[in-house]
Amino acid sequence: MRLFIRVISAISQGLGVLAAALLFSAVLSVSHMVFVRYALGWSTVWQTEYTAYAIVAATFLGAPWVLIVKGHVNVDIVQMAAAPPLRLAMQILAALFSLLFVALLAYAGWVHFEEAWSNGWTSETVWAVPLWMPLLPMPVGTVMLALQYVAEILRLFLDGADPVEPQPVLFSETTEEVRP
Amino acid sequence: QDVTLRASHQWPGGKGDVRDEMVQLIGKELEKADVGLALQVFPGESLFKAKDQWGAVTKGQVDITAFPLDYASGRHPAFSATLMPGLVGNHERAARLNDSPFMDAIKAEVDKAGAIVLSDAWLAGGFVSSTQCVTSPDTAKGQVLRAAGPAFEEMLVGAGSSISSMPSSEIYTGMQQNVLTGANTSSGSLISYRIYELAKCLTAPGENALWFMYEPILMSKRSFDRLNEEQQKAVMAAGQAAEDYFAGEAKKLDAELIEVYKKNGVEVVEMSKEDYDAWLQIAKETSYKNFAEKVPNGQKLIDDALAVE
Amino acid sequence: MSPLLAGLVMLVVLLGLLAIGTPIAFSLGLVAMGALYVVYGGFFLETVGEQFFGYLSPFSLVAVPMFILMGAAVASSPAGKDLYEALDRWLNRVPGGLVLSNLGACSIFAALSGSSPATCAAIGKMGIPEMRQRGYPAEIAAGSIAAGGTLGILIPPSVTMIVYGIATETSIGRLFLAGLMPGLMLTIFFMAWTIIACKRRGLGLSELSQRFTMRERFAALPRVLPFLAIIVGVLWVLYGGVATPSEAAGVGALFCLVLVAVVYGVFSKAWKFSSMNVIFRDTLKESVMIMLIIGAADLFAFALSSMFITQTVAQAIADMDVNRWVLMAVINLFLLVAGFFLPPVGVILMTAPILLPIITNAGFDPYWFAVILTINMEIGLITPPVGLNLYVINGIAPDISLAQILRGSLPYVLCMVLGIVVLCVFPEIALFLPNLVMGPGG
Ligand code: NA
Ligand code: NA
Repeated sequence: MRLFIRVISAISQGLGVLAAALLFSAVLSVSHMVFVRYALGWSTVWQTEYTAYAIVAATFLGAPWVLIVKGHVNVDIVQMAAAPPLRLAMQILAALFSLLFVALLAYAGWVHFEEAWSNGWTSETVWAVPLWMPLLPMPVGTVMLALQYVAEILRLFLDGADPVEPQPVLFSETTEEVRP
Repeated sequence: QDVTLRASHQWPGGKGDVRDEMVQLIGKELEKADVGLALQVFPGESLFKAKDQWGAVTKGQVDITAFPLDYASGRHPAFSATLMPGLVGNHERAARLNDSPFMDAIKAEVDKAGAIVLSDAWLAGGFVSSTQCVTSPDTAKGQVLRAAGPAFEEMLVGAGSSISSMPSSEIYTGMQQNVLTGANTSSGSLISYRIYELAKCLTAPGENALWFMYEPILMSKRSFDRLNEEQQKAVMAAGQAAEDYFAGEAKKLDAELIEVYKKNGVEVVEMSKEDYDAWLQIAKETSYKNFAEKVPNGQKLIDDALAVE
Repeated sequence: MSPLLAGLVMLVVLLGLLAIGTPIAFSLGLVAMGALYVVYGGFFLETVGEQFFGYLSPFSLVAVPMFILMGAAVASSPAGKDLYEALDRWLNRVPGGLVLSNLGACSIFAALSGSSPATCAAIGKMGIPEMRQRGYPAEIAAGSIAAGGTLGILIPPSVTMIVYGIATETSIGRLFLAGLMPGLMLTIFFMAWTIIACKRRGLGLSELSQRFTMRERFAALPRVLPFLAIIVGVLWVLYGGVATPSEAAGVGALFCLVLVAVVYGVFSKAWKFSSMNVIFRDTLKESVMIMLIIGAADLFAFALSSMFITQTVAQAIADMDVNRWVLMAVINLFLLVAGFFLPPVGVILMTAPILLPIITNAGFDPYWFAVILTINMEIGLITPPVGLNLYVINGIAPDISLAQILRGSLPYVLCMVLGIVVLCVFPEIALFLPNLVMGPGG
């Protein structure tokens, strides 16, 4: 079980790196579009579309890693007030409900991807990119997010409830750099 | 049995947009027919987003939709022919086109995908520019334009324009920030997106309109098949009523476009026959050619369309 | 089940899911899917994938991660620190001077971005840690940024104004102008409250005790140059005919990354290249979270619309035959409640076309109403359960609880309510500028 948790978490981290790279590529493609249009007067064909797709891909592929670092915002007032056994039950229940939604979304994402793939759909632009490419991150990201939720639930069973004290430096990586 | 149908479209509701009026009219006709059918209209993308409507109507998630068919050209490349430069020309010819072998082929593909056409509607459109009027291909050279659909983009590139692909909702800001010098889209959008605030010149659709788009009212076959025979007849009759209504309105739309732009101090011009033919020549070398290469029997579709009197 | 009852059931289930700590995105999504199952049967899953993808892929949303990235890049450098040191030397005679400069920075940033969460992210990323380090309590630091960030959709450019203009066929240029003066008015209200609150609680006094000579004040200015370069650069991209607002966000992000790396990395050695790693980790965390909430909120709005809930509520208001100011109060209340649960664009798209005829029939001005609507949406951005700015703040400073943020932003909510009242008494505040620039009427 520990191995399962470790392997899933490692894959999620890998996808997270990929998501960050996609985010950076989106910055470059917008800037490229603005530069060639403004400075060189060229037509812009693919950049708008690519940028939007890269952001969506980063969202789905980054989601499992964001779960690991507890980045999906929730309301934790009630959990904080609850005694540890009750808190554990709430955390497991919340994870199960999340898993249910994510699994349904993964199924829906797969259905859409499969349609686009087997029918050879493209986008309605001059670029006409095969739609399965931008659609693939949705099932991949959500399936991994679902698996990561399974891992989280296992971890809760093994280790008990997570503390809900303020997470000390979760999002303050940036500010920590500035102010040692 | 009592059935409430859902109708979805992307335009403002209750503001006089002709496509909204058509859908509302279908609702009223169904009520009048008194066959246990009611219509709930969801305007302004308040149910499905514009492009999602195709999947929704073909699968039966939504019952009726007013849908620009070219939006689904990524799934059915033949639909590009319904937003092809210079294939229509004027409203009289658009009406004749509806019952041609060309449109039979398009409707057969719509049918195969899971929807039926209740009302035909071809909407005209034009060019706007904040620098110089777009008439002959030369006047478009060097302009940065946003076109509606790849077929137009290919033709404009052929004429020496730069293309900036952006969603229609960004045309206004694009022109305001001088990122675009002009755009081409439907008469309705030219009004509702308020481009006249920024345009210096409008090329109105006239006798020689380059821009026509097929925006029919569609019904899901799944939903249609669930109705009893009497209800099905009422739906088809209501669709016909909406189509007749549109035929009466089509030219008024263009007149309204001209009136609104003139009132806002925008210069209004039309394309001459020579301008139109020059554009057609470029279209034949660019968008028509690409279409024929990409779509099986694409050449035949274009020939069929051009063959209509 | 009647639409109103259905809406109530959805609300209760949603609150239950949120209470046990289910992430907001997944709570909204699950309730939406449950409702969709009731309306369409299991086969809604055939189209919901396409829809969810569509909710996340409009190009205008690109601005969200881009402005977060921009903020993260600036925050990873000493630029923010330098700015506050400089502002401190100039504003140190005013109680709460640093909070004021943050509010000022929010309204400047609002003129760069069309989105509130983006404004919130860009300023809050550097502003919140700085304020807390200077001894301001978490509530004030978070509350002022949450509220200041909402100015992003009131001060032009504004994504919601564009959506309103399209949905109601009103002039976008006029809408932008109508939002400018009320935006500045709210900034002043926010600042006034801050001065009062800080004075009463004795905050920002360390700033009062220090005195700076004019020479010291001017000596601090060169260190603000990088920050000014960013603002001037983005303004140039935006208004110099280079790019649209969504594109400007991307260019601004690249500009910030390069500027920070060159100025602080090469010249001052205060910045290490490994900070790139940190910038992207933070950006990814925050933008994934926000994007998934946006997608799920859109799905929730789709479910509400499918059940005809939003429309029924709006229609119920339209059917009431009452005094026009009672009507306006009821509409405000409705918008406020809708704003609790829906993102601004969702509320506008579903209600504006229904509400606008009611408004104009009652003799109200549609441009004035756009401003009222926008301020209501601003309040919605900082109220749970769907308050995008709250989640941005939570992302920036996770150790500040939602309750603390809410406590801190409540006075600013009251400032916005006051703003609505003032606008009701003096509609000219909104209408003066558009009438002056574009001529009366419209
Ligand atoms: Na703004
Ligand atoms: Na809210």
